[in-house]
Formats: sequence, structure tokens, C-alpha cells
Amino acid sequence: MKPEKAKLVVDGLKEAGVDFTAGVPDAQFIEVYKMLDADPDIRYVGTANEAEAVGVGFGAWFGGKKPALMLATSGLLVATYHLARINILHEVPLLVVIPYRGDIGDPRWMGLYKKTTEPGLNAMDIPYRVVSRPGDIVRTIKECNESARAWLRCIAVILNEEALW
Amino acid sequence: MVSRLALIKELASIVPEDVLVVSSIGNNSAFWGELAERESNLFHATLGMCSPAALGLALALPKRKVIALDADGNLILNLGVLGTVANENATNLIILVMDNRNYLGSHKKAPGMPTATGGKMKLQEVAKGCGIASSHTIQDVATFRETVQMGLKNDGPHFICAQIEAIDTDRPGKNKRIPDPRENKYQFAKYIERTSGVQILGGGLGNFG
Repeated sequence: MKPEKAKLVVDGLKEAGVDFTAGVPDAQFIEVYKMLDADPDIRYVGTANEAEAVGVGFGAWFGGKKPALMLATSGLLVATYHLARINILHEVPLLVVIPYRGDIGDPRWMGLYKKTTEPGLNAMDIPYRVVSRPGDIVRTIKECNESARAWLRCIAVILNEEALW
Repeated sequence: MVSRLALIKELASIVPEDVLVVSSIGNNSAFWGELAERESNLFHATLGMCSPAALGLALALPKRKVIALDADGNLILNLGVLGTVANENATNLIILVMDNRNYLGSHKKAPGMPTATGGKMKLQEVAKGCGIASSHTIQDVATFRETVQMGLKNDGPHFICAQIEAIDTDRPGKNKRIPDPRENKYQFAKYIERTSGVQILGGGLGNFG
């Protein structure tokens, strides 16, 4: 991942007012995690798994933070129970940012995630936008977070290969 | 061995109103809600989410004390959180685990199948190994009271494993209605907004900050 693309994701989070992130580092998004960890304006909490990250983000929201989860497509599966619960039962807003492995065009053996990512979000009743152009990253993250906070819902931004690599 | 009810009664008598308490689902939430009707309670944290939620809250509000009223089976699902708590140095967090060493014992007349703590796992040592230096095991009301008061007074993070009876033979009456997750969310968020000066809930008109 090129650092300038990673910076667009961090810029988008800042534009959105996100000040708290949690997740587990993912090879395809590693530059974003490193930037968040080094950024004085956004607290990054590295968790042992993505379900734990959802719990941490849920608690941080109650403390007045504007949290986002940084989840790989595989990690989204680990986080599923917790995300479904807080989105459907508690209705607590978390922005979920996902680098899209397994979208059409991905040359690696990641097709599994085409079958799980968008259908999984739909099953959890989490609205999402797929971003394909780098120029749309900042605006989309900001818009999704605004709606998440206003609607008290989780909303996901999925950044695919064209946008990120 | 001490009962969950005896410890939760004790907890209700010593925890100040401004301490935020996140409780795991089942009898931790049921007994706590019955014995400590207060605005600063967040109930129903399930399947490993109790201590992580309390950690997020503690990091967001470093000037408030936060207690995770967790349980052995629930904590073990996300055991890695103990390492995160230590590394993030959540000094205002107390993790209090009601360890009955079995699954679903709180709802049955006989103990359920064992959790890992019903075997060889010792949670106090796990927490210490994760880097939480203030880790304790208690088996009676007096030590429980003393240890929780120590945790409320001193910087942590603190980890307290309370070894309780395998099943809840004593229980409080069901006189209070524990709020459902949505009602609890609004109640708890409004309480924190009022007492910590932060904005949580949106206005729905674009003025949500």
C-alpha cells in the first residue's frame, strides 16, 4: 500500500472527526495502522482480535469518543457477533473501515471474502459504501461517519483494490 | 465459599454513584440491577464484550473510575483483552470477575459444564502474566470489600477474581425492571453527558459535533 493512499484514509478519519480507533493490523492496510498509531490526534488501540476491538469501540462511544474500527475482511468475520449485536440490539454507531480483499480484480486467493463481506454486512443490517477511486476516500469516510452518528447505526466503508493499491 | 449475591450486595454498598459499572449478561446484570439501581450502569455485555467495553470507556474517560463486572466464561472468550488493558495502562479500570468455574450455572440447580477455570486455569496468574501487576483472588466478603476499596482508591489497572459458589442458590427478589439495551444506552449516555461534559448522542439535525 502506498503511503499517500494510507494518508487519504487517515485524512478521511480526521475530516470525519474520528478520534479513537481500534483493530488488529492487516497486511493490506498496515500503513494506515502505523500512521494511526503515530498520530497524536487519534488514539489507536491495538486489540488481540477484532471482536475485542468492537467492544472497545462500543465503550469508547459511551465515553464521548468518535470511534472507528479498522477491520480486515477476515477480521470482519471475527467481529460479526459483536457488531451484529451492537448494531441491531443496542444501536450504537461505529464506523467500520475495511480494505476489500477478495473484490473482483483481486489476483490473490481471497475470493472467500467476496462471499462474506458484503453479504455479511447486509445480514447485520450495516449499510456500506464501496470506494473504488482514491479521490472518493476522504469524502466517503466523512459522509459515512456523519450518517452513522446521526442514525445511531454502524456504517462501513469498503476500500477496494483500485482505491488503495 | 462465598455467593455471588453476597459479593454483589457488598459491591452495591461500597461503590460510589459516579463509578461507571459495565456488567456482563446473566446474573451479574440481574443481581446488580436489582441491588444497585443507578444511572451509571451499562448492562448486558455478552460473549466477551464486558471487559473490552469497560476498557474503551475507561480510556475515553480517564478521570472516571470504571468497573467491569465480568464473569469467567465471558472473559475467557476475549481473554486477550487483559494484555490490551495492561499495554494501554488503563489506570482507572477495575476488572472484577465472578468466577463460578462453569457455564450456565447461574441458571441451573446443578453446576453446568466447566469453564477453563474449572480446570487448570488461574485467572489471577493469567492477568499478572498479561502485565496487570495488581491482580488478586478473593474468596470471602471481607477480603472482597478491602480489595475493591483498594482498587477504587489507587491507580490500576486492577484485576480481582472472586471465586464464588458454582450455582446461585441465593438471589434477590425480582422487584426492579432492568432496562433493555436501547433504553439503557440512552439512560447511560445521558448520564455521562451530564456528568462528564461530553457529547455522545446526536441531535439528528446535523448538529451532532
